[in-house]
Amino acid sequence: MAEPESTTATTSASLTFSRPVFAKLSPHPYLLRNLSPADGQPATRTNGRTPREARPVQINVSSLSHAHGSALVRTGDTTVICGVRGEILPVGQIPQFRPPSSQQQQQEQEQEQDGSSAAGRRELKEYDLLVPNIELATGSAPQFLPGVPPTPLAQTLSTRVYSLLHATGLVRAEDLRVWYMPPAAAAEGEQDQGGRMEGVEGSGEDEEAREQQLVAYWVLYIDLLFISFDGNPFDAAWAAVVAALKDTKLPAARWDPDREMVVCSRTETKKLDVRGLPVACSAAVFLEKEHGEPGEGRHWLLLDPDRLEESLCKEVITMVVDCSDGEAKVKSLEKQGGTVLGRELIRAFAGVAEGRWREVKEAMR
Amino acid sequence: MTATTAPEAALGVLPRADGSARYSHAGYTVTASVNGPIEAQRRDEHPYEAHVDVIVRPAAGVGGTRERHLESLLQSSLSQLILVKNFPRCLIQIVLQIEDSPENDYANTKLVQASLNFGIMPALFQTSVLALLSAAVPMRATATATAVAIVLQDGTRKKVIDPSPREIEAAKSVHVLAFTSRDELLLAESEGDFTVREWDEVCEIAERVCCRSTVTKEGIEMMLDDEVADGPDTRHFLRSAVEDKVAADLHWK
Repeated sequence: MAEPESTTATTSASLTFSRPVFAKLSPHPYLLRNLSPADGQPATRTNGRTPREARPVQINVSSLSHAHGSALVRTGDTTVICGVRGEILPVGQIPQFRPPSSQQQQQEQEQEQDGSSAAGRRELKEYDLLVPNIELATGSAPQFLPGVPPTPLAQTLSTRVYSLLHATGLVRAEDLRVWYMPPAAAAEGEQDQGGRMEGVEGSGEDEEAREQQLVAYWVLYIDLLFISFDGNPFDAAWAAVVAALKDTKLPAARWDPDREMVVCSRTETKKLDVRGLPVACSAAVFLEKEHGEPGEGRHWLLLDPDRLEESLCKEVITMVVDCSDGEAKVKSLEKQGGTVLGRELIRAFAGVAEGRWREVKEAMR
Repeated sequence: MTATTAPEAALGVLPRADGSARYSHAGYTVTASVNGPIEAQRRDEHPYEAHVDVIVRPAAGVGGTRERHLESLLQSSLSQLILVKNFPRCLIQIVLQIEDSPENDYANTKLVQASLNFGIMPALFQTSVLALLSAAVPMRATATATAVAIVLQDGTRKKVIDPSPREIEAAKSVHVLAFTSRDELLLAESEGDFTVREWDEVCEIAERVCCRSTVTKEGIEMMLDDEVADGPDTRHFLRSAVEDKVAADLHWK
């Protein structure tokens, strides 16, 4: 907020403004002045960070008691909470359901080292087993007004999260399947459900009936709520999604043939197996000339931009990297809105993203 | 698939719009109309520059979050090309109607899909640039876009230009890159699993597809380099499409 006008008026007769007033009146020169100080000092941003300095990440998991997994992520003044809730989707309710064949399952076993299988990805996508939704709460930032439909920003964010969830193969369809072993086969297994039926039906069953049946899927509703919004929403949202999924424990579910429904255990839970740790890293390009031709003058790459910086920068880059296998793997790269970042700068940005990955990995522990 | 067919374009297909274009390539057909500069709505009005409004309409159904994302990508890229500072408080509206997209016979295609659609981005990009040229909206440069997929074939990674939906589904990674006519990288969207080196190679291929006409014009023999022979020459195509239209319009002289 601006300081009382009387202080500025009385301290000096000339037209000088206090910092907040200068920032409000002409944000671009204000940021430019901070980035290029006259007396040879190092460039700092208006928030006190150096251009390549990101805000520290704080992650708190399991803060929601009614969700199966949750995480609260805070980077500076951007705070987002993510809740993951699993719901049972019986296969009978899926239109055009195609049961995965036993061959496919064998293939999946083989491909397991190779990340998620194509069939599993198809299932996740076709039956919509992952449902992310992002809400930018009223009051989290001044630009979000109450009672309006989801803003383009919220819609774009949820598309990006949805697409990245599928592309990274973070959750595998295998973990979301609920199986049922028909009694004859279960007699040989160690499931207590089949144990009671032991010896009732014996040798007469043919091979097909003994196979495990897929009875239902878990659908994960991944809800994100921005409590406070101060720039760089995607990085925070994605970190929250990953942390919440890593925290997710789904109840053990089994098919009850008598009631013909899936029942969940009250006590027994199974942790969701999340593969890898993709971390998003965003930066914005601040140009020296506000009104000049793009490409003229100096430019600064501002890592983890805040709301003021985002409003002044047009060109943004987001890189999602995963270094958990030792080698840096890029999962997604998005650059738009300008021509400053060429091939060399983007290559160099991968190093910055790796540094960010290590920071977030520390915070996830 | 239809990926090998040459692109087709027609300018000024809609009589009432300021400018329009229809473009079809790799199974995608998109029609665009451009109106502008027109009066902006109060909330879109910017005191120093024109507001660029992009609307993407899918072939069937109403637009969802995916279309919003495509719109935001196009909006941020096109407002870099258009001389928006020349038209303060104005609006330049671009409406893109997807008419046809190649179907994937191997999957249940749903009407509303939330995931990113990499296949259609180049077609949308080319159509909007052609429509802007047709509307004579002042621009600092034109731009061309292309899609490249890295697919795993017989144990080796192969790069496919303008991949089909089936190839996109099976691909290790999919990339869409756009270059301005000054050979600057305007847009880069990638998804999948790749290294920075692979991206760099993809970037080089995309640059060849998008920015080649400068090379051929300088008289460098293009037939010797057989790698250059694959993929369409997008920038040259854009230029010839506009030249044809101008020639047809000035025929009476």
